[in-house]
Amino acid sequence: MSQGNKILVDARGIACPGPITELVKAYRNARNGDIIEVWATDPGFEPDVKAWIQRTGNQLLELRKEPDKIVAVIKVTAKK
Amino acid sequence: MAGVKKRVVIVGGGAGGAILANRLPKDEFEVTVVDKQPYNWFWPWLLYIAFRGSKKPIKREIRSVLKPWVNFIQSGAGVVNLQDRYVELENGKRLDYDYLVIATGATVDYSKVPGLDKTVELFGNYHSTEENAWKVWQTINSMREGTLAIILAPGAYRCPPSPLEGVFLAEEFFRRRDLRDKVKIVYATFYPRPYPAEPMNELIEPLLKERGIEHITFYTLDQIDVEKRVAYSMEGEELKFDAAIVIPPHVGVNIKYVPDNVLDNDRFVLADKFTNRVKGFDDAFVIGDASALPVAKTGVTAHLQAGVVARLLQGEEAKNTGRTNCPFDVGYGLGTFVISDYYNPTVKYPINKVNHLFKLAFAATYWDMILYPELWDPIFEAFFEATEPAKLRPIYG
Repeated sequence: MSQGNKILVDARGIACPGPITELVKAYRNARNGDIIEVWATDPGFEPDVKAWIQRTGNQLLELRKEPDKIVAVIKVTAKK
Repeated sequence: MAGVKKRVVIVGGGAGGAILANRLPKDEFEVTVVDKQPYNWFWPWLLYIAFRGSKKPIKREIRSVLKPWVNFIQSGAGVVNLQDRYVELENGKRLDYDYLVIATGATVDYSKVPGLDKTVELFGNYHSTEENAWKVWQTINSMREGTLAIILAPGAYRCPPSPLEGVFLAEEFFRRRDLRDKVKIVYATFYPRPYPAEPMNELIEPLLKERGIEHITFYTLDQIDVEKRVAYSMEGEELKFDAAIVIPPHVGVNIKYVPDNVLDNDRFVLADKFTNRVKGFDDAFVIGDASALPVAKTGVTAHLQAGVVARLLQGEEAKNTGRTNCPFDVGYGLGTFVISDYYNPTVKYPINKVNHLFKLAFAATYWDMILYPELWDPIFEAFFEATEPAKLRPIYG
């Protein structure tokens, strides 16, 4: 697979369910192989992004908590 | 001070633009409202055209809802030049300003979802025009059986509760016509749960179940094959329907901005969430649906932001709280409100008849409220104060 683009979604300061909206907006324009990195501060983002991954079948490469944000790194793999 | 009046140009004569224009004192400001078309629309009523066949008029001349001293120019705005401080009209004429307020609202973009234009042509929608809302009314009236899909397309949209309001009113429509056992209703959304904010969803999800309405979450609409009557998600999941009503992706209106880096990818204008100042500019503001702010696209937001900007223009201290107060019709004469602000998540505000009556009362006062803010502001202020999210949360959670 060719090297995908890296897309950064900064959803810090956006309250639930805003971060998912921002992720979906980026996902809409992404292609398989692209990496989407989401930054969020809303604690609800963590369970939501896990559920999103489970439901859509994309790949969660990393989900980590930093002192000032939650970072999710997602590889787009499920688009048809 | 007998100084020169400050020139304020407001682009857009919808709820936010008109409320702001009417609030600015005439001895201090020379206010000009520009709009490409002559009407102020009460958009929330598209819902009742679509699902109730309501014939109540939903537009009035902008001129008639502005104070007599406010100038009105019916013209599109071709260019908004924030650097040189002017708005260029369609005929090339330039309006120079001391302060600019962008209140252009949002528009719909069918091109983001292949097949959506044909879907709207066939079944209508209730987020664009009166004509399309009437088409929804025809769609549901001609259905005797099958599946009605109401699908929230990914992206921004006006009025957070409106997709589910349509779902609930459609259910009521078919039940009252004794067709409920023949017509299946499915709601598909890209959000993790039917209503995106968790506390409100705790009321809504059980209600969907109680009324036998199916829902599909994390459904990111990709395209629609209207001939085959199938909607596809981005992962290829198929949703078969006999009729589909789609809440289309919304975008900012097509105006050229200088510089263009004040716009996001969907042409919404970037701004400060507390003051509504356009990113990088002290003398330009954006209110209502036109902004890229992560706040609800609703008349209440435009109304409250207009109040903040009016105070800032008069040199007062003011900042937005991010307050929402969206009426939510759940059918059968029942309703709730989506109440939240920057500091408090959505309140689990109970569903009852009084809330629905509030919505209807508000609709009845809409144009009067725009034209006479001096009369209505104290009433709204009392209401907003009594229903502050921080006060409601301990009561309702």
